[in-house]
Amino acid sequence: MSRWFRRSQKDGSLLALPTVAWLLVFFVLPLVIVLVVSLMSRGRGGVAQMPLTLQHYERTFGIFSIILWRSIGLAGLTTVVCLLVGYPLAFFISTRRRPIVQQIALFLVILPFWTNFLIRTYAWRILLGDEGTINGVLRALGVISEPLQLLNTQFAVLVGLVYGFLPFMVLPIFASVERFNFRYVDAAQDLGANETRTFLRVVLPLTMPGVLAGCALVFIPSVGAFVTPDLLGGTKGLMIGNLINNQFGGSGNMPLGSALSIVMMGVVMLSLLVYVFGNRRQTGA
Amino acid sequence: MTATDVELIDIVKDFESGAGRVRAVDHVSVQIADGEFFALLGPSGCGKTTTLRLIAGFEQPTAGQVLIRGRAMQGIPAYHRPVNTVFQDYALFPHLTVEQNIMFGLQMEGVEKKEAQKRALESLEQVRLPGVGGRRPHQLSGGQQQRVALARALVKQPAVLLLDEPLGALDLKLRKNMQVELKALQRDVGITFIYVTHDQEEAITMADRIAVMNHGEMLQVGTPKEIYERPGTHFVADFIGETNFVDGTLLERGEAGFGMVKLMNDAVIRAQLSDTLASEGGPVLVAIRPERISISRADAGPAGAGMTSLSATLVDSQYIGTDTRFTLQIGENIELVARLQNIDDLPKAAFSIGQAVTASWGETSTTILDH
Repeated sequence: MSRWFRRSQKDGSLLALPTVAWLLVFFVLPLVIVLVVSLMSRGRGGVAQMPLTLQHYERTFGIFSIILWRSIGLAGLTTVVCLLVGYPLAFFISTRRRPIVQQIALFLVILPFWTNFLIRTYAWRILLGDEGTINGVLRALGVISEPLQLLNTQFAVLVGLVYGFLPFMVLPIFASVERFNFRYVDAAQDLGANETRTFLRVVLPLTMPGVLAGCALVFIPSVGAFVTPDLLGGTKGLMIGNLINNQFGGSGNMPLGSALSIVMMGVVMLSLLVYVFGNRRQTGA
Repeated sequence: MTATDVELIDIVKDFESGAGRVRAVDHVSVQIADGEFFALLGPSGCGKTTTLRLIAGFEQPTAGQVLIRGRAMQGIPAYHRPVNTVFQDYALFPHLTVEQNIMFGLQMEGVEKKEAQKRALESLEQVRLPGVGGRRPHQLSGGQQQRVALARALVKQPAVLLLDEPLGALDLKLRKNMQVELKALQRDVGITFIYVTHDQEEAITMADRIAVMNHGEMLQVGTPKEIYERPGTHFVADFIGETNFVDGTLLERGEAGFGMVKLMNDAVIRAQLSDTLASEGGPVLVAIRPERISISRADAGPAGAGMTSLSATLVDSQYIGTDTRFTLQIGENIELVARLQNIDDLPKAAFSIGQAVTASWGETSTTILDH
């Protein structure tokens, strides 16, 4: 056997072989294919053919840029709302004195995962529809006479995304708060910091790893979401995920879909870079 | 008479817990003078740390008043009190450098950055730890972290410095060094120190006055000498140093703070009454420090005035380095431990186990306590 094999046997790097092989075949290779396809022309039936062209990227950043920016905007807003709701919630759960209260609260946070995401999103259609629960209650109370347009708006998409991804914000922040030593709060106040400054100068920086992880876990799937905007957003709430989805259907355009996918991956990579950079600064490495 | 810096007036602190109310501090009143090194001493759970936290403002008393420099502290949050704390685990901010940790308190006061930096440097020199300002707390040893915590509190120039077992995490040798240094530092800066510890030796060697606490009560407040030589209760005598306790019956409370006690072997001895003795007669305890008992040969002759002498049998001896501990049997039921320092000419070779000896001590070295 070769020297390489014997050395790998010794240092254990052979253990990674199945994973490396899997990723090469099912991740790296398809990625290269998508990249190549995104640079090809559209043929009959939406399939890719020669010659190479950049026109799909031009369209992505041209007429489709509004959807690209809407996706980034909605995902960003989803992240912000999740953070504003999730941070206090994580703190609340973490600071309960009685373990049973804490366990029940955590259980409630992850309880929605027990039901299929599609079904839960459909439930929002019933809540938000013209004849839906919310409009019904408001009309019965005489607050409105005509139904509010809730469904098929960007607002509906935002609500759906926040609902769907909130647990991904709460759990990492909860883990961070659990590790936080509340003696630091005493120390900060002892040194003259009031509640606001204690939070900004001590509590927030020390729970930042959880905040960053939560933001990454919410933003990344939100950017690429397509079930939620498909069911709740209509045409006004169309996101890049829906656009990509459409390109691979019957009358689609596979090279365009590939270009959109590559751009979306770029956005995700950028946000991951922000995450890694932010974490580095926090740990002071 | 120096001014009173901190005054606790009938402080009560109850905590709600699953099992109901727990009283952590039970009607504590004390005055601490400006510039005093005051130790709160007691076993864990005695309420000493809670008392400290009440002064710092981390806890609010259930009843009673905390006064700092004559000002009532009720409703004044920790961040507006003229006190600073050195925490047991130091609580140095891990995301800030040593310098930033020390500057934190100054910046909260609105001190300009340049000035704060300058004072942080001076403060690090004051605790003899120059040149570490750029490091993170976790890069320092425990002793160094302790000094940084001290610098961070002292740089604020508080009226009172609260120290919660600051040396608890250090090894013995470092602790001894730091005791000397802390005491010197306190004399230098002239700030009132309130020092929580469970280590009686630490309290005795460092403090101007000691308050001994148990079960939330402040049992006795006094100078180390008063606490050691005139303990007020069984608990204080037992907690501070080593003590022999002998059961007896108080026959009479005599003149000048002395009383007569009959021991179980029917011997009647004279001993000082503790200041807080309630008993007017009946069962009491007599406390005798082992190092105050001297041993002589049985035929050595009668003891002098003001001395108590009892016949005893030497039943055991134990060499413990600086001293030798002798166990003495008196009558049927009384056992005493005597400690004799191992000096060159100690005739300890003259004592052998089973030998009849005379144990004697001064009447002022024994205290009569409530049972």
